[in-house]
Amino acid sequence: MLQYLLKRLLIFIPTIIVISLLMFILSANAPGDPVELMLNKNSGNDGQSSQKLSTEKAYNELRHKLGFDLPLFYFSFSNSTSSDTLHKIPKKAHRENLERLASNYGNWSNVAAYYNTLRDYENSVFAIASNDSSAIALNGIKERINDLYKTYEEAKVAIYFSDIEKIYSSAPDLAVSAASFQKTKDAYATMQKNQNTYAKYIPAIHIYGFENQYHRWLFGTSPWFFGEEKPGDNYGFLRKDFGISYQDKRPVWSVLKDALRWTVMLSTISIFLAYILAIPIGVMSAIKKGTLQERATTTTLFILYSLPSFWIATILIIYFCGGDYLDWFPAFGLGTLPPDAPFTDRFMETAYHLILPIFCLSYGSLAYISRQMRGGMLNVIGQDYIRTARAKGLEDKKVVWKHAFRNSLLPILTLFANIFPAAISGSFVIEFIFSIPGMGMTTLQAINARNYPIVFTAVMFTAILTLIGTLVADMLYAAVDPRISYSNKK
Amino acid sequence: MSATGKEIKTVSAADQSFWANVKRQFRKNKLAVYSLRFIYVLIFIAVFADFIANEKPIACKYNDNVYFPLLKSYSVDFGLSNWQPEFQNVTWKDLEYEWVVFPPVPYLPKNIDAYNSQSVSPFAEQEVKSTRWKHWLGTDELGHDILSAMIHGTRISLQVGLISQGIAALIGILLGAMAGYFGDDRLKMSRGRLILNVIALFLAFFYGFGSRSYILGDAIGISFGKFFVELLISFALMAVIFAVANLLAVGLKVIPFFRQKVNIAVDIIVSRMIEIMVSIPTLFLIIAIVAIAKPSIILVMAIIGMTTWTGIARFIRAELLKVRNLEFIESAHALGFSEMRTLFRHAIPNALSPVLIAIAFGIAAAILIESTLSFLGIGVPAETLTWGSVLSAARQSPTAWWLAIFPGFAIFLTVTVYNLVGEGLTDALDPRQKK
Repeated sequence: MLQYLLKRLLIFIPTIIVISLLMFILSANAPGDPVELMLNKNSGNDGQSSQKLSTEKAYNELRHKLGFDLPLFYFSFSNSTSSDTLHKIPKKAHRENLERLASNYGNWSNVAAYYNTLRDYENSVFAIASNDSSAIALNGIKERINDLYKTYEEAKVAIYFSDIEKIYSSAPDLAVSAASFQKTKDAYATMQKNQNTYAKYIPAIHIYGFENQYHRWLFGTSPWFFGEEKPGDNYGFLRKDFGISYQDKRPVWSVLKDALRWTVMLSTISIFLAYILAIPIGVMSAIKKGTLQERATTTTLFILYSLPSFWIATILIIYFCGGDYLDWFPAFGLGTLPPDAPFTDRFMETAYHLILPIFCLSYGSLAYISRQMRGGMLNVIGQDYIRTARAKGLEDKKVVWKHAFRNSLLPILTLFANIFPAAISGSFVIEFIFSIPGMGMTTLQAINARNYPIVFTAVMFTAILTLIGTLVADMLYAAVDPRISYSNKK
Repeated sequence: MSATGKEIKTVSAADQSFWANVKRQFRKNKLAVYSLRFIYVLIFIAVFADFIANEKPIACKYNDNVYFPLLKSYSVDFGLSNWQPEFQNVTWKDLEYEWVVFPPVPYLPKNIDAYNSQSVSPFAEQEVKSTRWKHWLGTDELGHDILSAMIHGTRISLQVGLISQGIAALIGILLGAMAGYFGDDRLKMSRGRLILNVIALFLAFFYGFGSRSYILGDAIGISFGKFFVELLISFALMAVIFAVANLLAVGLKVIPFFRQKVNIAVDIIVSRMIEIMVSIPTLFLIIAIVAIAKPSIILVMAIIGMTTWTGIARFIRAELLKVRNLEFIESAHALGFSEMRTLFRHAIPNALSPVLIAIAFGIAAAILIESTLSFLGIGVPAETLTWGSVLSAARQSPTAWWLAIFPGFAIFLTVTVYNLVGEGLTDALDPRQKK
């Protein structure tokens, strides 16, 4: 048993690695620059040199603090045009453009030279104090430079260059920066001239070591066993530090903690209810097989089993929650009682709000479990030992509950492994419909707000919950059935 | 059993075949048979959705000429011809025809009926020219015809079911069959071939997707057809790389070190993969992927396919564990067929029947996932009306019962029908019943 448990826990490790890699790849590819999202503004191209410097400084500081200036992973497998220092370029949009330029022209040092001259040029433009007459022209140049950072198409680059030239010819005050512009153009021309089209077909592996974003995300920067913590260290996913939400900058854990509580509560209550009700229904319909009552139950259960819960929830809201019809239940939320109201009041209020959601969550598993229970019972009732029990004159009740029921209960327990994940993802939709602030609703809101740390952490949580659910089901099975022994399996 | 004397006479060798037997067993389950017939109806609606509900007339006489605008729209879509100038950017229902035959439902899901917006009930007074133009299932907030949305939604939900399960079957059959057939000790490879194939795997991904990522990315922005062509080129490149690697492996055999056979435990690898896949919550994974990508129904299908192959793989693995020990596989070996030929030509075709069960249940699950996603408003583009998205419109206008009842019932019925067929197949293929 212990051996089996250890074996199962060992499988946890690759599973969690795979899921975490998936989530990490997704979060790295999520659109938008996370640092900019957290700063809540686009570090603009207008304004004075000092202002630009301060935004840039704030950007770089936050980027460094969050570890986005590190390489993504322990190693990278790409083509020979890519550079192992690319991750040091601050803006995500710039980085992506440079990568593409490198892939097009096949020579990283030329691309880097172009980028550096463009930066110098930008700085020289920002150094010009604008007066009323040249302000528009200056802003025009700044805009073009900002575009150049994000353009790889030759035709477009040519247009931007000629635009800038036109502005120079119309605004002679700005000529201070013209030399720098010429350098940028030259660098671009050099890059175009020294093309190496084949470089992108040569694979290359860069090794970065432990100083990377994934390692930091998973393990954190603060030391695990010895050593002193520095201020600003993070603890990593494995130590319950899930990052910071983009919008309100709260730690993800504090956002998800309450949500997790609601989801786990909803699913456990609904599974518990489903088991409590399904077992007698299943047993009864097995014993009374063939009667009208049984057939009605079986048909109802089958229909219940295939009714999509989000449909039923929508219909219940239409017909039972105000609107044109009955007004029996509240449609949304958990009630408005203040937290200092008496516990019983709050309990009743919450329970009242949860009746419909829990009904929607449990009827599906109820139908599923009782169908399985019925099947299991029918199987057992046909066995010889049941006939023997009846033959020796045991009363019917005893035969059913002591002999048949006990033996058909086992497969029902393993269903837990199927029902638990279903309940979790079911509650996802139900929470959304009834506006219950659980994991599902939090995740959906996070998706709409493009708040990715919350989304990915929520998915990791659900995966881990699912893993634990399956494990518990297997353990239960082994604990209940003495015939099953996982230790000497062969 | 219940066969009459007449029937017994007509039983020929063909009727004794495996599939004839399955068919006979399946027919005994009346509910499953009716479900299958209902699926045929659904397929008919899905295929001919354009002819059942469309804004364009099937045939009309306009300015003394007879036109077939509906048929013509196909050739225009394929770029074979162009609309006549008098039909460019017209509202078809407002033209003055001499005579005209409209499809049974004269609306497309995208058409907005401004006179009947704000969710008009099917039983309410509708502002239409005649009963011919009535919205039989009402309209939604913007004035979309719900019946038309339901008909075209059939097409989407069937597409999702079939394509996603097609992908799942491809992955599941391949991996499950390898695991079941070779087990842990039957796939032996020369060391050289193994090393070359591992290298080829990396190179194939590099040349197929790594160095082509920009080409593929640009193509997806242009059109789906273009992307598909580029994707095929990528796969072709990968195939070429593997072919070259395996050819080289033949040459490498001269060196004794590379000639040595090594054992590959396929079953352990695939079983672990299945275990890992099963513990990833599919709906959440799909939601996470779909959340960062541009909404597209193709993506939804692909992801559902790539996350639900485990059921199929398990079925075929279990079946091949039995099949591989049968005589005909032994005789294939005795005849000197290669392992791959035995696997693909003899073993897999004889193990496919249980896959049908998994696919039937899989389609039901895929349709349910897709409608859940549309209901939540993620994954499917906002302008595409599906059953799920019509149902979610009922949340905004809680008094509009018709927005909830009809699409929900369609989802329920379709899912149930596929589940029933799946159960019918399970019974029909169960050897315990065959006697």
